[in-house]
Amino acid sequence: MRTRNTTLALAGLLVAAATTGCGSAVTAASEPQADGTYAQIAALPKDQQVDKARELARKEGRTLSLYTSMTADIATPIAQAFEKKYGIRVSVFRGNSETVLQRALQESQAGKAGADTVETNFAEMAVLADNGLLADFNGSALDKVGSAHKFPQWTASRLNVFQPAWNTELIKPADEPQSWEDLALPKYKGKLTLEVSDSDWYANVTKYWLAHGKSQAEVDALWKDIAANSKVAKGHTTMIQFLSAGQSAIEAMNYTYITDRAADKGAPVTHLPRGGVSKIPAFARPNGVGMVKNAKHPAAAWLFYHWLLTDGQKELVKLKLTPSTKVPGDESLRGLTLAPFDVEGLSDEAATWDKKYDALLRGAGTAGK
Amino acid sequence: MTLASTSTTSRDDDPASRPGPAPRPGENKPVDRLLRLLRRPLSFQGLLVGVAVVVVGYLALVPLGYLVHDTFLGSGGSGVSLDAFARAYGGNSQAGQMLLNSLWFAVGSAALALTLGTALAYVQVRTDTPFKGLFFAASLVPLIVPGILYSTSWIFLGDPSTGLLNSLLFKPLFGSSPINIYSVWGMIWVQGLHLAPVTFLLMVAAFRAMDPSLEESAAMSGASRLTVLRRITVPLLRPAMISAALLMFVQSLESFEVPGLLGLQNGIYVFTSRIYFVLRAYPIDYGAAGAYAIGLLVIAAMGVLLSGWLQRSSRNFQTVGGKAFRPRPVELGRARPYVGAGVILYFLVTVILPVGVLVYASLLKYYTAPTSKTLGRLTLDNYRAVFTMPLAFTALKNSLIVGIGAATAVMFLAAIVAWVVLRTKAPGRRVLDLLAFTPIVIPGLVLGLALSFVYLRMPLPIYGTLLILLISYCTRYLPYGMRYASSAMAQMSPELEESAAVSGASWFQTFRRVLLPLMSGGILAGWVYILVVSFRELSSTILLYSPGKEVLSVLIWEQFENGQFTTLAALGVCMVALLVLLVSVAYRLGARFGLQSDSAN
Repeated sequence: MRTRNTTLALAGLLVAAATTGCGSAVTAASEPQADGTYAQIAALPKDQQVDKARELARKEGRTLSLYTSMTADIATPIAQAFEKKYGIRVSVFRGNSETVLQRALQESQAGKAGADTVETNFAEMAVLADNGLLADFNGSALDKVGSAHKFPQWTASRLNVFQPAWNTELIKPADEPQSWEDLALPKYKGKLTLEVSDSDWYANVTKYWLAHGKSQAEVDALWKDIAANSKVAKGHTTMIQFLSAGQSAIEAMNYTYITDRAADKGAPVTHLPRGGVSKIPAFARPNGVGMVKNAKHPAAAWLFYHWLLTDGQKELVKLKLTPSTKVPGDESLRGLTLAPFDVEGLSDEAATWDKKYDALLRGAGTAGK
Repeated sequence: MTLASTSTTSRDDDPASRPGPAPRPGENKPVDRLLRLLRRPLSFQGLLVGVAVVVVGYLALVPLGYLVHDTFLGSGGSGVSLDAFARAYGGNSQAGQMLLNSLWFAVGSAALALTLGTALAYVQVRTDTPFKGLFFAASLVPLIVPGILYSTSWIFLGDPSTGLLNSLLFKPLFGSSPINIYSVWGMIWVQGLHLAPVTFLLMVAAFRAMDPSLEESAAMSGASRLTVLRRITVPLLRPAMISAALLMFVQSLESFEVPGLLGLQNGIYVFTSRIYFVLRAYPIDYGAAGAYAIGLLVIAAMGVLLSGWLQRSSRNFQTVGGKAFRPRPVELGRARPYVGAGVILYFLVTVILPVGVLVYASLLKYYTAPTSKTLGRLTLDNYRAVFTMPLAFTALKNSLIVGIGAATAVMFLAAIVAWVVLRTKAPGRRVLDLLAFTPIVIPGLVLGLALSFVYLRMPLPIYGTLLILLISYCTRYLPYGMRYASSAMAQMSPELEESAAVSGASWFQTFRRVLLPLMSGGILAGWVYILVVSFRELSSTILLYSPGKEVLSVLIWEQFENGQFTTLAALGVCMVALLVLLVSVAYRLGARFGLQSDSAN
């Protein structure tokens, strides 16, 4: 009797959990008018699209839901500038790119799209597109974007640039790195720091070397030496803090905007040699913008996409970020030698590169000893 | 621990300690009582117990079900498969080496935290030591400071070349730099100090609820102070100590903040660095993540079994009986100044040093070691930035709502479920206890995914509100609440409940008027712990919060992501100030409601 009671109780629990978990009683409430709106705007001549979108956005209630990996100090001024221009109130969900992706996917699988538009790292944008979450955009804003920054259903909005960074008090001008290969030099032994999640940097440098005449064996040897020179750290922010404090002398890679921000505050760090021009191939990793298919506010999403690639680019420059189009007054790329970032390759084989980089690092602690 | 607490019931075969409403020994009264409660499902008590059990079971089963489903699901989408374990542990994953590192780190940290926390709690509750006020801060501050800040502070203090302790203390005085924070010992040190408050809170409650008459008898019979400590005091406190050890051991096993910041520097990889990598990638290999979590679960379950075995061989530790008692403080006599100095030293090391570094960093534009030049350039800009953060006050309000809500809900549920586990012989109570412990091994991100999966499909307005954060925090901190509540209850002899029942009190009256007040020390300690740690929960929060429903941990993450370490430090300092204030109010209120205070000792 007793046993049965408890068994029943436990069974009840399991059933309750199972039904709430699996029973999607709520029917997928897709927004059929979203696709209609996108199609309606797309069908118009390009010079009439913006006005139509504004008109439709008014009918939608002048609101927009944006999911982004911009943090509040960037996302808030961006949202305000957009709001000022179009009178559309923006509600912003901010998270790291993995979170933005997971949240959008989960919501879409449940048939409850929470986002109208998404702005995040390229890899996650590519996954969203592959999973059929994004709608096509054909507005005039694309005209100003270079072909390297246009992708199926999403477009690069801003760039994070990969460069080494070093402490100017600890690295003399003569010792500044002139190439990625230099990081393998014995003079950096014990001075170099690698970040634990930088597999996309590792992939780009490797491919660049292979494409510029190095054999696989040479590349492997370089990485082995770099790893032997290095300590491993976690988080680009923590790293720049330790670099500023002089606890580490040189970082194999940090984002230039993080280095620049620290330098603006007076920290003795830089990613440019004393001459002001770096020959080190600067891989620029795109962040992209896309419109969500089942969006509740598709016209507002269209407007945001359009705005971020036009007027929004100037706002990004004001915030000292690197825009994906040419904007007068943008100095974030000064002194840098840009190199193409392998978006397609990394979207497809990210896991492979993750594993290889992880294996390289795990050898890092012992290879040097 | 889980089984450990239940073993109290297993010794109920001794008629003298048998719980039950009737004074007559002989039958399975507690079971009857529970069943009677459950048979009258519409009675208030029946409903309360039933609902608590169901809610706890539900909270624990949702993420566990999600995890197990993904772990054992075959690659074809159907059938049971063990592929995930091969992916997780096979190949060049170096799983064995990492597991050893992890175990060393976790055992070391738990041992350090247990020793420190217990010693401090003893000195605080049972002696006439000076500076009792400092314990309060020492017991809270390391808990409040987000792990990333606490670890970073220690890096600034203990870096082998530039650390302040080496450059300002050891180098000038001894001519060497002995401290290297980037070692397993450094990791154990930081993690142990960070966790010691968990033990301290648990053990203070336990010491307060301990009848010292046994110790006094031992002393009268000629036992030395050390013998009394070894043979009487420590055995009596086993439930609480084992609770603490298990919590800290598992928590160290699954934490990645300290190993990530300190261990990687010298290539010390731990188990959780695997989970970190697995959860970063897309598509997330939930199977592999689950396989790691299940590995942790197995280790945790072994800990539970071990602790159960340890307690079975111990004497009865129910010390709160029907007799009135008031622990008399041990007079330290000549040792008093030394103990006092020890207290000051501990306070200096765990609070003043790391918080001092934070305060110093918060006054800088970027961190650099203190020189006369930097000291002249201190500025309050970072605090201005914190107070003008657009969402600071929304986030603070939401953090308070969710934190207080989760702490209250968890401790309420845990008190009832602990009663079911410890005071009844209901079959399945061990399963319930174990179940309530499982959320501790579920990675935060997986918990977030499980919750959004469920609540996106539920027609209730939970997803996108603060409620989902509340549910998430209740799930995450349930294991802690259960340990606090059941170690408090394990100390109580059922004779008090029996007397209440004999005097005609209903179950609920007994629970409310007898059990809860007696457990209040443990309950309040658990409440404080959950409130404090919920302020820094990020891994599930970041997925589940909604625009306009930000909490403080989201702001902390943003400052970190932006590279604004010095602003982050300012935010951390503000959090410490705020939570210390909040908790001292809670203790004042607790004192008003009859909680014993140490000044009474």
